[in-house]
Order: sequence, then C-alpha cells, then structure tokens
Amino acid sequence: MTLQDIFATLDRFWAEQGCLLAEAYEIEVGAGTMAPDTFLRSLGPEPWNVAYVQPCRRPADSRYGENPNRLGRYFQYQVIMKPSPQEFQDLAVASIEKLGIDPLQHDIRFVEDDWESPTLGASGVGWEMWLDGMEICQYTYFQQVGGIQCRPVAVELTYGPERLAMYLQGVEDYRELQWSDKVSYGELRFEEERQYSHYNLEIADIEMLAGMFEMCEAEAMRVNELGFPLPAYDYVLKCSHLFNLLDARGAISVSERTGMIERVRNLASAVARTHVARREELGFPLMGDEARTDEG
Amino acid sequence: MAEPTADLLFEIGVEEIPAPAVLPALAQLERLLRDGLAEARLTCGEICTYGTPRRLAVVVSDVALRQEDLAEEVKGPPAAAAFDADGNPTRAAEGFAAGRGLQAADLEVRETDRGPYVFAKVTAAGRPAIEVIGSILERAVGSLTFPKTMRWGSLDFRFARPIRWLLALLGPDVVPMEVAGLHSDRVTWGHRFLSDGPVAISEPSEYLAKLEEAYVIADHQRRMSLIEQRAGEAAREAGGRARLDPDLVEEVNFMVEYPTALVGRFDSRYLQLPADVIVTVMSGHQRYFAVENPDGSLLPLFVAIRNGDERGLDTVRKGNERVIEPRLADAEFYLVEDMRTRLPDRLDSLQRVTYIEGLGSLYDKTERLVTIVHWLCSYVQQVEEADESHAARAARLSKCDLNTNMIGDTKLAKLQGRVGAEYARRSGEPEEVALAIAEQYRPTSAADAPPITTPGRIVSLADKIDHLAACFRIGLRPTGSADPHALRRAAQGIVRTILDARWRVQLPEFIVLALRNLPAVAAPKAITEEEAAAQIHEFLLARLEAELETRGVSYDLTRAVLSAAVPDLLDAYDRALALRDVRNSDAEAFERVIMAAGRTANICRGPKTELGLNLDLEALADEYEIALYVAYVAARAGLEVALAGDDPDYQAAWAALQQMCATIDTFFEKVMVMAEDDAVRRNRLALLANIDDLFLRLLDVQQIVIEGEA
Repeated sequence: MTLQDIFATLDRFWAEQGCLLAEAYEIEVGAGTMAPDTFLRSLGPEPWNVAYVQPCRRPADSRYGENPNRLGRYFQYQVIMKPSPQEFQDLAVASIEKLGIDPLQHDIRFVEDDWESPTLGASGVGWEMWLDGMEICQYTYFQQVGGIQCRPVAVELTYGPERLAMYLQGVEDYRELQWSDKVSYGELRFEEERQYSHYNLEIADIEMLAGMFEMCEAEAMRVNELGFPLPAYDYVLKCSHLFNLLDARGAISVSERTGMIERVRNLASAVARTHVARREELGFPLMGDEARTDEG
Repeated sequence: MAEPTADLLFEIGVEEIPAPAVLPALAQLERLLRDGLAEARLTCGEICTYGTPRRLAVVVSDVALRQEDLAEEVKGPPAAAAFDADGNPTRAAEGFAAGRGLQAADLEVRETDRGPYVFAKVTAAGRPAIEVIGSILERAVGSLTFPKTMRWGSLDFRFARPIRWLLALLGPDVVPMEVAGLHSDRVTWGHRFLSDGPVAISEPSEYLAKLEEAYVIADHQRRMSLIEQRAGEAAREAGGRARLDPDLVEEVNFMVEYPTALVGRFDSRYLQLPADVIVTVMSGHQRYFAVENPDGSLLPLFVAIRNGDERGLDTVRKGNERVIEPRLADAEFYLVEDMRTRLPDRLDSLQRVTYIEGLGSLYDKTERLVTIVHWLCSYVQQVEEADESHAARAARLSKCDLNTNMIGDTKLAKLQGRVGAEYARRSGEPEEVALAIAEQYRPTSAADAPPITTPGRIVSLADKIDHLAACFRIGLRPTGSADPHALRRAAQGIVRTILDARWRVQLPEFIVLALRNLPAVAAPKAITEEEAAAQIHEFLLARLEAELETRGVSYDLTRAVLSAAVPDLLDAYDRALALRDVRNSDAEAFERVIMAAGRTANICRGPKTELGLNLDLEALADEYEIALYVAYVAARAGLEVALAGDDPDYQAAWAALQQMCATIDTFFEKVMVMAEDDAVRRNRLALLANIDDLFLRLLDVQQIVIEGEA
C-alpha cells in the first residue's frame, strides 16, 4: 500500500464516519494538533469532526536525510471528533483494518501515554496505539486546550503515516517508501531533508530568528487585542516555529527555554480565549439542531 | 434460619486503564462494596476482585437478598408531658406516636439522664437487595479515586478512563443502575479481537469461565502466574533465563488480557552497550523482559508478552524485533558520541547546566558535594583514607553523566548515576569510584536498597543533604502530597543510609554544614538558615518516624523516644527498637515502670526549670527519701554503664531504671512531696527531677499511652 493509498483510504474511512475532509494548514507547525482545525476548533461547545493530513516540522529532528527513521519534516494524519463518540476506539481499530491489517494476525494495543503541550497550554489523557510493539497512532481525549477546559471533550487520533507505510511495505528506510507506485519518498524528499537540515542546524541566522520571534510575538498580541484571533494565531504558530528553529540551532539556554515556552503559551491561551468569545458572539454557528450521535 | 442469598457480580468496562491504577482501584472497590453493603444492612460473604486493562470487576458471595429489618428507638417528649395526671396520653404523645406510624399505647417510658421520657420503637422492614444495591454500586463508582481522572464526550463525570459498559448481576437478575449515561446489563465483552461480540452472563458464577472462553483471563493472579510461566518457558526454549523483574511483570499483567509469550532477537553487537541501558531500552518503553545466561550476562534476546493467542505470532515477533532495533541503535549512537569525551573532561561543561534556579550550576553543586564529602569522611569513624579519596573523586564526577546524550534521552534518564559509573569505568576510573557514582541516587524507592560501599554512602549522603539544604533554603518545602523535588525520598534515603551503615552523624551539625555550604541565596521565598535547619531536622525525624513504623514501633513509643534527647539518628532508632522489644516481651512490667516514672514527671516537671537539679544530700531525712536516693544512685550507675561506649545497651539501661520502680512507688505512698517546709519540698522535687532526667535519657514517659487510660 503506497503512502498516497494510505491517505486516500483513511480519507474515505473517516469521511464515512461523518468527518469533514480538510486540507493542511499552510503555516509551519510542529504537530497536527497545532493547526487551527484542531487547536481552535476543539475549543467551545460546537461539534467538530474533521480529518486532514498535516505536514509537520521539527527542526531539531533534522538528520540530513541520513537517519532511516527520523525526519525534520514529516506528516501526520489527524482526526478530531467532538464530542468524542462512545465507539471511537472501535473506529480507530476499524481504520487500521481498512489499511489491510488483520488484528488477529497482529498485536494491537492501547498503551497509556498522556499528552501535554507546554507551548499550547494543552493536555489530554490517552494512549499510544501499538502495532506489534510499534507506536502507530496517538489517541487522546483533550482535557484542556489553550488553558481552557474542553467541554465537550474532543478526541484526537494522530497517525504516523510514514511509520505505518514502512511497516506495511516492509522497508527499513524512509527513502525506500513508495509514495506512489512510481515515486519513492526518498526521490521526493531526500534533497529537501538535506537542504533543510543544513539550514536548521547550521545556517539559520540566530539573531534574525530571535528578532523575528519578538516581532511575531508583538504582532500576535496586537492583533489578538484588536479582536482578530485567527490572524493572531498565525503569529503564535510562527513564534512556535521560530522557537523550534532557535532550539535546533542550540541558541536557547536551559533557563531561557522555560521563559520562551511560557511566552508562547501565554499567547496561545490569549488567542484561545478571544477565539471562544468570538464564536460565542457569532452564536456558535456550528451548533446546528441536526441529530448528532453524542454521548450523554 | 439462613436467609436466602445470591452472589453479586459487578464489572466496570473501560477503555484501557493505566496499569498501575488497576490494583489500587480494585482494593477500593472491595472496601466500598463491603462498607456499602454493611451500611445497607445486607450481609455478605467473601469478596473477590478481578482486573484487566479493560475491566474492574468484583464478585461478592452470598449477599442477602433482603435487607435486615431496622429496629430503632426514637426518643419522644418527657414522660411528664406525654401523660396527664391520670396516666392518659396527651396530644403531644399522640402526635409523636402518629408521626412514627404508631398508637400512643405503643410508646414506652424509660428513665434517662434527664428523667423519664417516652420512646417509640420503630421498625423499618428490609427492602429487597436488588432495589438497594444499584445505588451502592453507583456510589462506589463515583467514590473511586485515581491518581489522574478525565472527562469524555459531553459528560461532566470523571473516571480514570472512559467507561464503556456496566455489568451488574445479583444471582440471575440484573441490578438496575446508571453511571456516566450507561445502564447496567448482563453483558460483558471478551478480548477486543479474539472474541466476537458481546458475551451474556446468566449468573455470577460463570463470569470467569465465560470470559476465558472469550479469550480473557480476568483473574489477575492467575494471569500473572501464566505470564511468569510462559515467559520462563519461552526463554528456556531459547537457551536462556528470563529476568522477571516483579514490577515489570505486574505492569505487563495489567496491559494484557490473554498473555502469550514470544522470544525476539536483536543484533549481538548491541551487547557492547552497558547492560543497564539494554535492559532499560527493552523494559522501559517496550516492556520486554531481558534474557540472561546462567552467569547473569545478557543474551541478544528478549521476551515479549503479546495480548492474544498464537495466531500470527511470527508476524508479531518480527514487528517487535523491528521496533527494538532502532532504539538500541539510538543508544549505540549515544555511547559512541559520549565516549568521544572522557567522563572527567565533561566537568567544565556542567557550568552551563543549571541545578535549581538561584542555586548555581551543577558544577557548583559538585564543588559543594566534595566539601561535604571531606567533612563526612573526617567525621565518621568508619571511613578510611582510601574511601575518602574515592568518595571525593566520585563526588567530583557524580554529575558528569547528566549532559551526556544517553541521559539526555528521557527514556534513559533514570539511568543517571549508573551510566556515569559505566562511563567512569570506560574512562579508566577505579571501580570504587564507579560504584560510588552508581550508588549516589540510591535508594531510588522504598523497595530499593541504600548504597553499600563506603564511598557510595558518603556521596549519596552528601548529594541528598545538599539537595535538602538547597530546596528548603529557597522555600521549596513540600506541601501536602506534592513533592516535585523528591525531598521526601532524599530525606528517607539519608535516614536509611545512616541506619544501614550504622554511622553516628549528629544531624544538626550535618544540616548546618550543608546550609553554610550553599551560595548566597536570593530567592523570593527563601527562608533563613536557622529556619531551614529547624525544618530539615524536623523533616528528617519525620522520615525516621516512618521508618520506625515499618519496624513495628508504636506511634506513642516513637514520640516518647524522639521527645527525649536525640543525639543522632542511630541512637534514636536503636533506642526505639530496644524499648519496643522491652514492651512487647512484658507489657505489664513496662507499664508499671511508665506509671511510676509518669508520676515522677507529672509532679516535678513544672517546678523543674525553676528549681533545677541541685540536691542537698544533708537535708535528706525521711527514710523513704533516702531509700529513693540510694535507688537513684544505683540506677544511674547501671544506666551509665549500659550506655557507655560505642554500642549502648538500651535494654540493660532500661533494666537499671526498672529496678528503682518499687522504691518510687513506695516513696509516693509514704512521703508527702509537697511538704509544708519550703526547703524539704524543694529538695524532694529536686530528687524527683534527677530521676526524671534519668528516664529522659531513654524516653519521655509522658508520651506513652497506656491502654485503658483516658
């Protein structure tokens, strides 16, 4: 099964479960959770069911493309359902079966792994989903996002598509993965990993990045205070990415680190509050009266 | 006549609950049901609990099908108000009776402390158990506590993990109940994949068997022995022995419902990694058991417990082998990178690592440890010269592993110290130094042993007292159950290490040294050195109390021993154990001494501070007074002999004191302490004060609680 088959199969499956098929967000994020379709939409009372593929950047994981398992830019397949449906765990398993994995021939397990994001002021309770000892998904009930309690609770399922595909295709190196029948992951992305690794680890201009961090922080705050949380959030994401770049360049000391994380968290929390207030002003437009399969 | 009974089965079906939460939850469930049934006047027999990752279950045998009737007496108005002069009931009496569903004629008059009152005997007929148990179960679910709880869906209900079904049966009948939007039923679910659809249970007795047919071994005891047995067999077949770490066995046990063991293999070149690293890589994240040779060295094998049967076992094995490979490769990479710098050459880089905000770098901490080590070495008699140089070297290198790649990996961080030891060896340091580096963090838990080498003990004590001093000084004292800097563990480590080594360390001196050794502190919540010293002392004594409790020393005796002078921990500890044995061997004799000494203390303690201990021997006139003085002198001599030297005999000291007891009793019988004559009175009080001081060498008798006394 090629990587694009996996995306297509998961899309079809989650669309059948009532999920909206969305597209990736276009600003650099460290995880699918940071995209507004998760971070902002999981807040407040409106129902929200969505699936999308999100490219993620982790500059510190850059390895010049040479490590078979680690990439500075990779993908997540992200599913959010709010309120979390009663049968979500079964859906998670069923989606894996759709990829051609027979649970009777494998060992599929849910292993405790609670999640916390200090930069997003977010935390959740959940599991890693294991396939024969390998983590293939993260399964999390959000409890708090941007410092705000989640009511109702959104559940998140995040797949690691490269890992899944490597397993399904039986290859040991990401470069050998078939993205399509004709093009491999390596052909598509090796050069990108190489260039970005040099940039992320050696070339990126630390002073400029630090300056940009200050500018983006100020802009996020200013725009949020004007009552425009959506553009403000873009600058929060930029701050987060700039922080990650500085970190990858080894330019952040231990004591600075905590302080910078706190600054991003404060921004994210402020934007989250403004966003919820704005949705409320709009009368929570997605609170339609169509019958929904809620719990409780 | 035996009331009819039936077994009660209750199962909470959940999404996979964290392994460490299962057993504590089952213990609570058992208690909640036992108490709930008793409170509801429902008798029951034995209670068994069963737990898997997906279920918390309890079976209560022989639950009465009907509550016992409740006979209650309700107090009414005074008799004088309830009956008129002719003995006829008043309206008050009639009203009271009617309110209880009775006639006035049914009321009884009974004498009370406040005169005669009328009483109504009310009987509430027991209701059928099936109507009552539902609310007991509902309350039990709501009362279960977990280290961490969550919400899900649109509910406000909190539990460890989402609840997915409820099974509640009393005999063949479903007990109606509702929790978290779910209604009870007679249906459970078997293994997530191996079992097909819901499993109906017709009565509690078939629960375990039905689940086993559905590929769930619900009885966790049995499941655990299956894991041990199967892991053992699998390793044997592969030519080795499984290292069945009990904590890991228990964790794995609550991660699977149907255990099947498999043996996987990894490239033998990874055996060059430190064994601790290999074991941690396998057990920490993947929960594999290591496999060893008869000599304890590792084989390039692991045992994994799969949640399922034999189907596809080869696929599962290959998958698991694939996962462990890159993790070992990471560790290998760390080792190669780390070994580019010899351990001692890492020391300078610690200047850039903050220890605790406001308390300097790890380099600074290292310097402090070396100072404390030298002090301890000159202070503790048992330390030899070679120990001192090894301990000082180990202290200097103790934190050098903290900025290695290996310890930087969060999954391997708990190997701090042990990795340092291995790197020290590979950097050519003496074995004693390596061992001391490895031992510095021990004991890491209540189950872990304290260090055993002398340099290891010294470095461990230095590390822990510096940590306590630093944290208390900047106001990071633990509050409630929160203890983010693990100060309780550090304090307990100090206590256990000192007791284990049988070293005499005067706490106040030790504490003050560590506090003086700190850099100038300017934290917002900082406290003075004196305050910190007092708090740390109290904190360490509290850990000693806990230690004594585990040794079966009753709380009052612990208080009594600690209220008397505590020259050092070992003295208090030995004294408490000796007096525990004295008390256990003859409680009555012990109490007689306590009574006599208690009378002495009660009468002399008030004036003691004012009058002092000065005794005028010339003024002793009364024969009983003189007899007491003679007994006192003999007891004091006996006590001094018993307590002299490095190895005091507290039981002998007690025996010496015990000998003067009869004389004390006689004295109180015959002599009026509070004599009219001022000088006589003062002299008698002084005599008693001297005796009290003798007892205070062992314990403060006023802290001892004697049963039957108010």
